[in-house]
Amino acid sequence: MGAYIVRRLWQMVPTMAGVIVMVFILFNWVGGDPATILAGKMSSAEQIANIRHQLGIDQPYYVQLWIFLKQIVSFDFGASWSTGESVAHILTTRIGPSLMVMLPMTILETLIAIALALGIAFLRGSLADRAVMVACTAGMSISILVYMIVFQYWFAFKWGWFPVQGWGDSVGENLFRYAPLPILIGLAVSVAPTLRLFRTFVLDEVGQDYVRTARAKGVSERRLVWVHVLRNAAIPIITYVMANLPGLLIGVFLLENFFSVPGIGREVIQAVDRSDFPVVKAATVYVAALTMIFNLLADLLYKAADPRVQLQ
Amino acid sequence: MLGLFLPLAASAEPKTLRVLFEAPDSGIDGALTVNWYSGKLTEMIFERLLTYDYMARPAKLVPGTAEAMPEVKDGGKTYIFHVRKGIYFTPDPAFKGKRRELTAADYIYSFERILDPQNRSPLLNFLAGKIVGLDALAAKAAKSGHFDYDAPVAGLKALDRYTLRIELNTPDYNFPYVMAMPSGMGAVAREAIEAYPGQTPSHPVGTGPYMLAQYVPSSKIVLVKNPDFRGLSWDFSAADGPNDAQIVKDMQGKRLPQIDRIEVSIIQEEQSRWLAFADKQLDLDFLPQLAAPKVMDGERLKPEYARAGIHLDRAIDAGITYTLFNMTDPVVGGYGKEKIALRRAIAMSYDTKQEIALIRNNQAVPSQMAIPPGVAGYDPAYRTSIPYDIDLANRLLDHFGYKRGADGWRTMPDGKPLAVSISRESAAVYTEMAELWQRGLDKIGIHSEHPVSNFQDNQAAALECKLMMWGAAWNADYPDGENFLQQLYGPNSLQGNMSCYRSPAFDALYKEAMALPPGPERYALYAKMNRQMEADTPWFVQTVRVRNWVSQPWVQGFKKHPILNAEWLYMDVVPH
Repeated sequence: MGAYIVRRLWQMVPTMAGVIVMVFILFNWVGGDPATILAGKMSSAEQIANIRHQLGIDQPYYVQLWIFLKQIVSFDFGASWSTGESVAHILTTRIGPSLMVMLPMTILETLIAIALALGIAFLRGSLADRAVMVACTAGMSISILVYMIVFQYWFAFKWGWFPVQGWGDSVGENLFRYAPLPILIGLAVSVAPTLRLFRTFVLDEVGQDYVRTARAKGVSERRLVWVHVLRNAAIPIITYVMANLPGLLIGVFLLENFFSVPGIGREVIQAVDRSDFPVVKAATVYVAALTMIFNLLADLLYKAADPRVQLQ
Repeated sequence: MLGLFLPLAASAEPKTLRVLFEAPDSGIDGALTVNWYSGKLTEMIFERLLTYDYMARPAKLVPGTAEAMPEVKDGGKTYIFHVRKGIYFTPDPAFKGKRRELTAADYIYSFERILDPQNRSPLLNFLAGKIVGLDALAAKAAKSGHFDYDAPVAGLKALDRYTLRIELNTPDYNFPYVMAMPSGMGAVAREAIEAYPGQTPSHPVGTGPYMLAQYVPSSKIVLVKNPDFRGLSWDFSAADGPNDAQIVKDMQGKRLPQIDRIEVSIIQEEQSRWLAFADKQLDLDFLPQLAAPKVMDGERLKPEYARAGIHLDRAIDAGITYTLFNMTDPVVGGYGKEKIALRRAIAMSYDTKQEIALIRNNQAVPSQMAIPPGVAGYDPAYRTSIPYDIDLANRLLDHFGYKRGADGWRTMPDGKPLAVSISRESAAVYTEMAELWQRGLDKIGIHSEHPVSNFQDNQAAALECKLMMWGAAWNADYPDGENFLQQLYGPNSLQGNMSCYRSPAFDALYKEAMALPPGPERYALYAKMNRQMEADTPWFVQTVRVRNWVSQPWVQGFKKHPILNAEWLYMDVVPH
């Protein structure tokens, strides 16, 4: 196991190198010139040249790439070009609000989808199964924008169940007062496709011989579903959930924007808009690194979920 | 007995004003940013030598921290300011427990910061090349990497603790406007800047009416009344605004600031903004143009909103929207008659009235000249010579040899294909404007394409004169027409003149105007420059936008100022 983990960690190095080079090329090739943005409305060529010098973007590309590498190794990406705020502070302060929305949403989405998938898979073809599938199709056909506009207007503004928007100063206030409506909207959008996917995972298992054998041996339906079937369906579910986890770090930009959640998704989009390279590259590198780490964790969880899996 | 009442008095609710920014600020250090939202905050925390009369229209300069308006000498080349005594910075550890008084030297340091290359200040162009000796010091700093703030500058002298003498390289009658700019020209204390290297955007220390209490970037900012502020008296006269008499009645004689606490939320979505206002979470907001039809009935609030006591302040922007032509472009650029005819025909094909009615929901008025109302040099009698006239545009093109082919599309006089490219951003309003352009251009037989990019990239390309045509806007930094016309001055090509327009006639008029003090003679030259601009058509001036500001019934004293970023100092919130 230890050797496997070390080997996988080593394998991340070339992948990360690819990400770094890709981000660097993309930013320098298609990214806007931050100097002209920062220079103001009436700026001379000298002013723009000075800003480029101050930002270090007048250096040869290999020097800029070397600085980028040193920043990654030292975990110090400097300060935002547009606000002067340190990138470390931006990431550490914006990640909390994003997680406060995304983490409960992911946990609830997964639990609800697993429970419903197990429930309806055993009732395949029944009225309940069809009703849930129709509801899923309808739910998936509606854009998240519609959910946001309608839920905010009716649930928050008209009926006063939630605040219209905003973010408070304490974890409790944010989790129980401001986060629930974005979470609810996120669930309305995400549960349907996840449920359909999980249902197919469960259906794959329901027809297996071991299910029939277990039934013949008198195993209760509850145990059959929650122990035998769930354990075997767990591997694709783990794959799906782990693959989605890095997304938590980017947050759901639309939800954050609509409900004024000061999260990382909103910050990264703003940084892209302002050609704020230090923020963009830090976010990209961390998300890439975490994606690889979550993939490794997923592989380790396979082993925990199913002892037959061999890590090689 | 007295003790029974003390807790009540202590727990009295502070007067709080809740407002929003529709985009995040970029920190609260005026020398480092021109972000409009940052400007609102810096205006409350840092003080300029000069400011504006809150009520007067057109905007009128008045002393800020200066005791009086400056003494002007050498025909607009030398300005002498006397800083008021007894103005103190808010207490900060940087001052080591001592009260720190504002002095003339603080303004010298503050202006030098704008020239310091390390600060890469976007306000640089307002001071660069103007003050005797300052540019040489900046050039030295660019080479050495260190700005010597202790070095004397001939044009910036503290004659005594409170007297500041500024000597300019050439006469500039607009210099007082620069000193009154709400962003960046406020005084900072050198100790406070040097005590927090790299952190000044989140650690502002000023002398203004408010100080920072909470700063959560991209989310929330709280300002509280500066207890050391010297205080001002609300003493303004009503101008010609419809609510002016009521504002004067509500506010006259009140000690400023009246509001104890200002809470700013960053709310970027229009629906969220409006619902937050309607839900009474906000006290003041301006209506997005798209929301106007839901709330307004013509120029008034719909009865349900008026009955609820909502106040409306309709303010015409001190700014214009326009479309620029790149004068160096091989298709639409150039100064030959056939090129001028092409640009005029293109401009004549655009129906500005339709834009105002259908796209801007009547929340704009046609702009006749490149100077908007409320800005010195605006002439209400001036009428543009470029009307919407499809027939005339077609005749003009026919006359100058832009022939229609069998397919109905025109070609260049030399027979090459004719197609124009009008760059735009992706928002719905620009999509609709592109459709309006296309409809007009189709009628005169000119192919058009409308490439989409984000604003920053379009601006960057336009600044380098790389876009053929682009729809732009300009809001006044100060209320003089020169602030608009400078963008057409030839030497400003590639540094703000995004058309790269170089007209000897226009440039001569500009130089002549700049040598004159403000007054009718100078403004007559502005009108001539507008005519010259129309004759060459590097710009097609379109609209002046109207902002509808709405406030809750308990808000008093609000009147949108054309130049000031925030009016919070002059307002009050009554118990509700």
